[in-house]
Amino acid sequence: MKDLHALLILSFPVLGLFAGDHGLVTFIVGLVFINMLLASGLNLLYGFSGLIPFTFAGIAGISAYICANLVIRAGWAFWFALPIGCIAAAVVGLLLSFPAIRLRGFYFALSGLVIQSALTIAFVYFPAYTNGDTGITSIPKPVVAGMPVASPWFELLIGAAAAIGAGGVALLMRSRIGSTLIAIREDEDLCRALGIAVTANRCLAFFLASLMAGLGGAIYAHFVGFISPRGFDVLVSLNLWLMVAVGGRGTVTGPLLGALILTPLPYVFQQYSWLKDVIYGAAIIAVVIFLPGGLQSITFRKSA
Amino acid sequence: MQDYLVLTASVITSGLLIGTIYAVVAAGLSLIHGTILMPQASNGQIFLGSGLLLWLFTTQLGWPLWTAIPAVLLATIALIFILESIIFSRFYQNADRSITYLVLTLGLAQIFSGLYSGTFGKISDTFSVDPPVRGLAFLEPTPLPNARLLAFAAAAAVLCALIAFLRFHRVGRSLRAVFQNREVARLRGINTVSVYRLALGLGTAVSSVGGILYAFAFTIDLTVGWTMTLITFAIMIVGGPGSVLGALCIGLIFGFTQAIVSVFADPTIATFAYLLAMLIMLFIRPNGLFTR
Repeated sequence: MKDLHALLILSFPVLGLFAGDHGLVTFIVGLVFINMLLASGLNLLYGFSGLIPFTFAGIAGISAYICANLVIRAGWAFWFALPIGCIAAAVVGLLLSFPAIRLRGFYFALSGLVIQSALTIAFVYFPAYTNGDTGITSIPKPVVAGMPVASPWFELLIGAAAAIGAGGVALLMRSRIGSTLIAIREDEDLCRALGIAVTANRCLAFFLASLMAGLGGAIYAHFVGFISPRGFDVLVSLNLWLMVAVGGRGTVTGPLLGALILTPLPYVFQQYSWLKDVIYGAAIIAVVIFLPGGLQSITFRKSA
Repeated sequence: MQDYLVLTASVITSGLLIGTIYAVVAAGLSLIHGTILMPQASNGQIFLGSGLLLWLFTTQLGWPLWTAIPAVLLATIALIFILESIIFSRFYQNADRSITYLVLTLGLAQIFSGLYSGTFGKISDTFSVDPPVRGLAFLEPTPLPNARLLAFAAAAAVLCALIAFLRFHRVGRSLRAVFQNREVARLRGINTVSVYRLALGLGTAVSSVGGILYAFAFTIDLTVGWTMTLITFAIMIVGGPGSVLGALCIGLIFGFTQAIVSVFADPTIATFAYLLAMLIMLFIRPNGLFTR
């Protein structure tokens, strides 16, 4: 039943692709799928492992910059650069999971905030590879059989990636690793006492989530064609967190629902770009105060 | 030789000035977090908002300083109490409220930064306020704008007054009792919720004064809110939440680091250093250097 919901939400943006010759709508559909992928990855950490990773956008950014550089400077094909970017992101994510060994709750979130800020500054500060604040423009679309992937197919491809990501998280959570992660989230000390390898399991969750962040980041770079430090700053991490929280953390459908609702919002008020920050900020406060379980806790209460 | 002297003097003066302003804003943040366990991530935006409001009142509306400054302080304090009554007060009883407050205030900070760029951002990119004093003072080899001298003196005075209040006044002492031990303070008949409100109002007012002084000494732009949030969080964590003395010492160290680094290289390196210091401190001693 829940899988049906997830499939329904995943396939909903595809409707947008039939809207005809409307560039903006297909663009938003692609972004929705990318955010679904990223939010599912963040949910693996926040929802299932109970850690708020404010470093998430930074990790996605590392993969995006590596992938774009390999394609533009080294002339690699996107399909070879993508795995390199993802693995680099996953390794960095694994290194950044180091604070999680000692820090808990608030202090872990704070350390994530610090690392995220350092990463954003680093993106600005090494212009040789990132072109500083201006960002890298005209990143080419991936090429299949000699042709750049055209509009509806690229979005569908991203949709497939999002489906694989969400499905992977769902399968992982049904396996033994998933129950172990949830057990650690609920009572870490008890798990330690029972002989569960807490640190190793957390690091594994970090590795996998960072892999998804890397995939999302690299696809974002080549889908939008433009990356800048602003695209991977702390607000982006915060808003990915918001997508998970709005949908319902610790569920497979939650982040998909959150990404579906929140991604198109800024484009509704395109003339007033500053309104996006006000709306997202207000949504964060509203979710924390009124809806700690997310929309999931209302809509699917009966089937849960 | 003369060049060296001028350079050293300018590093000392600019380090002292920026360090005391950091210390003032960080002291406000530290008071709030030390008492309520609320890491006020929108404090930097309040700091920026005070500077922007001062600019609006003085240069745009033409108010004299003696009405503009109280008006700014009144506006920020009123704002923080409205937020307290509708948002913050809901979580006073939660044991692990720090993380909730961090997320909430990050949301608030995002709202503020959206509002600023939608209002002030439409008018200008940079904002400079006419300082109350003009001209240059010659402190032996190096010239120094009087406005910066005034900002430094005022910031130092605010910090001294704050330390004296916390040490000697009865209400200040009850604040410190809550920093040290919440439960015992409550058992001794201290009303913790009113102490929380006092700390929130006082901390916000102090940070707001920091914003006003910063506006006198420097030109503000809209990114300074986030930068100040980061730097003051680093100062608070390294110095120890709740410790004004810690905020003062670490603020000065950070200010001097920034002044010295700016001579040789990009000041961004100084920011890396603050963030690294904060990260190391989180690992080895999350309570900070100046708290027991």
